[in-house]
Amino acid sequence: MKASWRAPGRLIAIDGVNGVAVRSTARAEIKRVAQAQRGGISTWDASGVFGDLIVADPEAGRPSARTLLLLYAADLAFRLRWEIRPAIVEGRTVAAAPYVATAIAFGRAAGVSGGWLRNLFAFAMKPDELRLVDKPPARTPHAISFVDFGCAHLSANGHSLSRRELAERARTHLRISARL
Amino acid sequence: MGQSAAPLRRLRDRARQRFAGAERRGLLIAFEGPDGSGKTTQRKLFKTWLQSEGHDVVTTKWNSSALIKPIIKARKTVQALSPEEFSLLHAADFRHRVEQTVLPALWAGKTVIADRFLFTGLARDVARGLDLDWVLKLYQPLLWPDLIFYFAVTPDTSSRRVTATRTPNYYESGRDVTDLDDPVESYYAFIKRVIREYESLAVVFNMITIDAEQPIGEQHHKLRELFREGRSRPWSEWNLEAVVEWLALNGYGR
Repeated sequence: MKASWRAPGRLIAIDGVNGVAVRSTARAEIKRVAQAQRGGISTWDASGVFGDLIVADPEAGRPSARTLLLLYAADLAFRLRWEIRPAIVEGRTVAAAPYVATAIAFGRAAGVSGGWLRNLFAFAMKPDELRLVDKPPARTPHAISFVDFGCAHLSANGHSLSRRELAERARTHLRISARL
Repeated sequence: MGQSAAPLRRLRDRARQRFAGAERRGLLIAFEGPDGSGKTTQRKLFKTWLQSEGHDVVTTKWNSSALIKPIIKARKTVQALSPEEFSLLHAADFRHRVEQTVLPALWAGKTVIADRFLFTGLARDVARGLDLDWVLKLYQPLLWPDLIFYFAVTPDTSSRRVTATRTPNYYESGRDVTDLDDPVESYYAFIKRVIREYESLAVVFNMITIDAEQPIGEQHHKLRELFREGRSRPWSEWNLEAVVEWLALNGYGR
């Protein structure tokens, strides 16, 4: 399951646990690109799977970290198919905010093995550039980033760490991945 | 999942005690096979028989998680799924059912009958062109059934039985990958690929093949016989990781 495909455009992955900071960085990155080459910003939940989760029957049971990651990967496959690849084929630059590193950091924070996570995202094309936005998790009660959303679900599910602690742990994993 | 050494050891011990050491432990039995192989009929007969034998039986069906099924259904309706999305969403549905239905029932000593298990995902996804190793790893940590019955039919039989009463739907007929507009023609082309994958999986994963071309009663009696022989198989240590992860998820490690 190798994502070896290459096209004339550019993919900039912008990852971080703070959704507001990630989006504003993505906007700034895209502004720097010449108008004719702007392919836009691809954000999480373009396919609406997480929106559907919010309105799901509470009796259905809460998703685990693995289930959330499988859904994130399904959403990313949708984004690649409909938002990212078509723009890159046209020679445009797309900012994916967030992309793979954020999800891997969330998974590592929740205790999921790195090997499983690497396999899960093996279908995703390699970004031309990776920007890690090292800002603390947002203090807003709303889950506006994937990490916020996932951590809120896990802490409500009885995880031993609070939502904020999980998000901080994800941030630490992102920092570690940046050093590698 | 994310456990330090001492709690992890405790969880492992607890899992082994419950499954490997129990006099009568929960059993997981998977019914696999292509559409039209009659496995649902056999599953129902088998469940009734097991209950008459004193088993507390729980059934879980493919793509039936109350959380994920509506998500998949909405996307299937508009024919919006690529093979990767199809695969990942079904793996999410499976994971949620394992955590919410299968493992709790096994832990409680019940017998779980799975009408399709992860092998359905493997056979269909590989028939859609995905890599077997990638798909298999999506289902990790793996939970191996105590018995896997594979209901074998030819593509002709599957096709004849399925199309006798209805037109196969878009994904069932594999129209997303066959490039064939006719649902019946597409179903035949797709089920041939699915059966080929099933046959390889049956060998690799040591499934018990049932000749599903035989009369219903004969198959049922064969299942009873095979179950009596196979029920005393030892618990597989391969399941340890899945059980430990589930225990940790439910706060048993704290």
